[in-house]
Amino acid sequence: MKKALLKDSLKEIRNTYKRFISILLMAFLGVGFFAGIRATAPDMVDTIDKYFDEKNVYDIKLLSTLGLTKEDITALKQIDGIEEVYGEYSEDILLNFEEEELVTKVLSLDEVNQVSLVEGRMPQNSKECLVEKSFCTQTGKTLGDTLTIEETQNSMIKEKEVTIVGTMNSPLYTSRERDTSKLGSGRVSYNIYLPKESFDSDVYTEIYLTLEKAKEYQTDSAEYKEVVEQVKEKLEGLKEERQEARYQEIKTEAEEELNKVKTELEEEKQKAQKEIQEKENEITQGEKSLQKAQNTLNTNQKQAKEQFTLAQTQIQEAKNEIQSQEKDLPNLENKAQQEITKLNQQKQELQSKNTLLNQNIKSIEAKCEEIKKALQNTTLTVEQKVALETQKTQLEGTLLTLQQQGNEIVSGITTIENAILKIQTELQTGKETIEQAKKQVQSQEQEFQKTKQTTNSQLQKAQEQINRSKSQLEEGKTALASAKKEYEEQMEQAEKEIKEAEEEIQKIEKPTWYILDRNANTGYNSFIQDTQSVENLGKVFPIVFFVIATLISLTSMTRMVEEQRVQIGTMKALGYNKVQIAGKYLLYASLACIIGGSIGMLVGFILLPKIIWMMYSMMYVMPDISIHFNWHYAMLGLGLASICIIGATLYTALSALNQTPSELMRPKAPKPGKRVLLEKIPFIWKHLSFTRKVTVRNIFRYKKRFLMTIIGIAGCTALILAGFGIKDAISAILPNQYEKVYQYQMQISLKSDITNTELENLITTLQEKQGIKKVVQTQMTSGTLMNQNKEEDVQIIIPQEENLQEVIHLADSKTKETVNLQDNKIAITEKVAELLNVQKGDTIILKDADEKQHEVQISDVVENYIYHYVYMPKELYEALYEPYSTNVLLVEHTLNNTQAEDAFAKELLEKEEVSAISLNSSIQNMMNDMMSSLNYVVIVLIVSAGLLAFVVLYNLSNVNISERIRELATIKVLGFYDKEVYQYITRETVILTAIGIVLGLIGGYFLNYFIMGTCEINVLRFSRQIRPLSYLYAVMITIIFTTIVNIVTYFSLKKIDMIESLKSIE
Amino acid sequence: MAYIEFQKVKKEYQMGEVTIKALDNTSFEIEKGELVVIVGPSGAGKTTCLNILGGMDSVTSGKVFVDGKEVSKLKNKELIKYRREDIGFVFQFYNLVQNLTAIENVELASQICKDSLNPETMMKKVGLKDRMKNFPSQLSGGEQQRVAIARAIAKNPKLLLCDEPTGALDYKTGKQILKLLQETCRKENMTVIIITHNTAIAPMADKVIHFKNGKAQEITINEHPISIDEIEW
Repeated sequence: MKKALLKDSLKEIRNTYKRFISILLMAFLGVGFFAGIRATAPDMVDTIDKYFDEKNVYDIKLLSTLGLTKEDITALKQIDGIEEVYGEYSEDILLNFEEEELVTKVLSLDEVNQVSLVEGRMPQNSKECLVEKSFCTQTGKTLGDTLTIEETQNSMIKEKEVTIVGTMNSPLYTSRERDTSKLGSGRVSYNIYLPKESFDSDVYTEIYLTLEKAKEYQTDSAEYKEVVEQVKEKLEGLKEERQEARYQEIKTEAEEELNKVKTELEEEKQKAQKEIQEKENEITQGEKSLQKAQNTLNTNQKQAKEQFTLAQTQIQEAKNEIQSQEKDLPNLENKAQQEITKLNQQKQELQSKNTLLNQNIKSIEAKCEEIKKALQNTTLTVEQKVALETQKTQLEGTLLTLQQQGNEIVSGITTIENAILKIQTELQTGKETIEQAKKQVQSQEQEFQKTKQTTNSQLQKAQEQINRSKSQLEEGKTALASAKKEYEEQMEQAEKEIKEAEEEIQKIEKPTWYILDRNANTGYNSFIQDTQSVENLGKVFPIVFFVIATLISLTSMTRMVEEQRVQIGTMKALGYNKVQIAGKYLLYASLACIIGGSIGMLVGFILLPKIIWMMYSMMYVMPDISIHFNWHYAMLGLGLASICIIGATLYTALSALNQTPSELMRPKAPKPGKRVLLEKIPFIWKHLSFTRKVTVRNIFRYKKRFLMTIIGIAGCTALILAGFGIKDAISAILPNQYEKVYQYQMQISLKSDITNTELENLITTLQEKQGIKKVVQTQMTSGTLMNQNKEEDVQIIIPQEENLQEVIHLADSKTKETVNLQDNKIAITEKVAELLNVQKGDTIILKDADEKQHEVQISDVVENYIYHYVYMPKELYEALYEPYSTNVLLVEHTLNNTQAEDAFAKELLEKEEVSAISLNSSIQNMMNDMMSSLNYVVIVLIVSAGLLAFVVLYNLSNVNISERIRELATIKVLGFYDKEVYQYITRETVILTAIGIVLGLIGGYFLNYFIMGTCEINVLRFSRQIRPLSYLYAVMITIIFTTIVNIVTYFSLKKIDMIESLKSIE
Repeated sequence: MAYIEFQKVKKEYQMGEVTIKALDNTSFEIEKGELVVIVGPSGAGKTTCLNILGGMDSVTSGKVFVDGKEVSKLKNKELIKYRREDIGFVFQFYNLVQNLTAIENVELASQICKDSLNPETMMKKVGLKDRMKNFPSQLSGGEQQRVAIARAIAKNPKLLLCDEPTGALDYKTGKQILKLLQETCRKENMTVIIITHNTAIAPMADKVIHFKNGKAQEITINEHPISIDEIEW
């Protein structure tokens, strides 16, 4: 390009900077929006991908209904494509705090799914744990505090007290949502991480796999999915085998256990029986010996009696003899007395002889004495003396003879005396003998009596002994009988238990392996779905901007080219070629486009992901978004913008250049006025005031501008309406589902082993409870609806009676009329019908959890907003699948505050039969919180719509003014007041705005419909209905934007120099 | 006091650092019903003078009286009112609103004045009775200028200001237009001021004001203005 031309081009930009800026701004908005929104989804995916790679998050997760073992891990390690296998534990526990009971999930820390530490440090031993930050906030616990884990049956957790050493975020729980639980309210409130060594179990709760090459690819990309899918297929192969193995293992284990119990029982039985036998034997023995004892005793008694009799007889005999002896005794005495008397006479003779003798002796002794005395006399002569002595010797001799005679008498006396004595003694002896015999008999009798007594008492005692033994034996017998009975009962019980255990073993179901990928992770899945929504949004919104950008550039550049007709003509006349001349405009447009687009890109790439991320960061706990300069979208956006803007410029420039220089140099014949259609309807035309006629004619005169304004305004209104519409749609889901469709407020899941009686009791209890309106029994089970090429998971609800309508409002999705379940047909929900492209009256394949497939006819498609359901009459279910059994109770109640509801739920949970409770109110609350962030979507939309409206209107208004500046100056000269001038021009804008708004509302309705369609999550049905208030908001906001632009216009109109009107046409 | 008085009017434009004197102590008087031709080379201040008279521009100093009203003192809104009621303006390029028919263009002016004249009568007067319903693009330049004149006169103004009314017209048509203006002046007793650089038409005026370097250098009064038909150039 020639230097002069270049200079001219650049000067042109300076002179018409407003126009330049408006094109630049359109490029900015178009490219920024396009690139920004488009880049957001990849940025988001990239963020989660990096996060997951950094934290080594699993690619495949394995769950089994019966847990997973080390053998499973070994088997898994054999599979190609698996990088690492991690066996992990998790367990739901209840943590008690003063005011509440929190359901907490305890997970094991490992190299896989690493948590990110927020505060504190990682646990160093099994007694240390990590918690969520919000856990601390809610419970008031801080680092260093301890938590008490209540001991429960079968708990895998070893520790009873753990210390909080830090807070963390887990990549497995990026969303606010936590897992469901069989405890408490049915949902986990918080997660806690403990080191692996805090768990004590051979069986892992889950196995996480990381795959080779998976980290190289971006998560959710086709390559990644391919890698995962390949391994999944291999796992499917392994699945059966491992399931069977685990089943056998568990069964064997149980059987072994049972056998052990059985053996023990048998042993015990034998022991008991032996004991009983022994006892019985003992008793028999006892009885025998007792009998024997009795016999002996009896014999003894008899013998004793005989002996007694004998003894008595002997005694009697002895007595008799004594008596006879006693009788003889007086005779004897008499005889003896006679004898004695005789003897005494003899004695007395003797004694008289003796006395005479003694007197002789004494007279001799006296003469002797006198001799002795005479001898002693000294005077006595020897003769005398001899005489005397001879006398004396004589005397003495006489004396001696006398004395001899005396001795003889004395001895005679003595002999008599002796004889008497002998007789007396004899008598005495005889008497004594009798006496003695008597005494002897007496003593014998006494002794006998004593012996008798002793013997008798002994016998008595023996008898008592026997009796006692007998009663003891009797007692023993009774005891044995009761023991026997007890034993039998116990045995019966034990056998029953064994039988039950056997049945239980029979009932052990084959474990099912669940091979899950990251999509099974709620946080990940909803995040990916959100990125898809963002991506879908990115497909729709930029289109609006690009269309408008094109139109804006078209008008602006047309205006510019037209303004410079003469110059173009001159240049042409001077001999510049088309390319050179057009180059100026192309340069102008390109510069605007590239500068605007580049700024737009930069801003868009940074701002939009950030804003959108901000919105989502409320729902997810994740590292900050990683922003990229996405060359692909940058170039695509810039390319599209260039095509639109430069294309439009080229078009206008070329159409001008095709004219001859002379044509160009002549002022372009102003666009001729034309009569509009309305003038042909005099009825209306005549009633319009003059200025209105002018307005009407003007509107139709500038068709391009007319179109642009309408499109701009309509786009703005449509965007705003769509923004509000999205909000309406999503916020209507909850009330629609939980108030319109579900009439019940509480869902009680029952334990699978509940008996009919228990169920009836539970229902009675429920029905008796105050505030309970209805209790409906249903069976809920999962299934799959399929057509030829697609399938969708559904929940099958089978009502026990025909009273489902009392708690779930079944209404036709289109007519909203209440429908009833029909015999042998099913009703399915709207969204799944749409997804599978079936209608009422069609047949469809329904597969239950056991893979049983049956074709069923659809009686109705019913209104529903969350998830997919199939409603099926009990009879049909039983006919096609399995016998019905109630597992869920749907309860409608009139408890109007949450406290009462919570209390009631808690009360119910304590019941054995209840396994879980879900409250519609709490689900609704939780989801409501999440949806509050939608306001940001609306704000983003409104701001961008506003920007769009502003740029469009401002640009149009500028073009309008510059195009009609002569006309405006003229009417000013004619003496139109400022207000009149303003009205002259803005009346058009107002009318166009009104038309634009109307079209925008219609367009917005469809845009909303489209966005809802593209963004709709598989399991959700967004309401396509937009609230009337939203229409009002859209209108109001558009009017506000228009007004702002009009105010700006007013001032630029005021600035118009009338002297312009005097200037010649260039 | 004359009908129109220009008293030592000064008009300066500030163009960056340069001050351009458009009018430099210009004074002149015009009587009611006079046909005045202002002549002078480009840049002499003719248009500025007209703009000030027409209430489209303000003075830097000096006073301007029109029918006893001090125009130079009027505020924006009063100026608009002055333009609306007292001034009729004929532009070099007619400045018709393209989207309005000939008669509508006239109506555009007449409907904003209190005692406006009937647009149809005006159209008849300018000899375009048959072209009333035509759009400007369907009219020739002369015809368009006539419509412009009709539009200006329909307001029944005190002053008819014409800025090079024949500038874009050929000789013959230009003459016709000038004739129309002359007739209007004579018949309606309207004060008409025509700006032109064509000194040849000066004889048709009652008063000729020669502008040079921002000053009314010479004011000549034609005691006997001649009809435009007799003027050739």
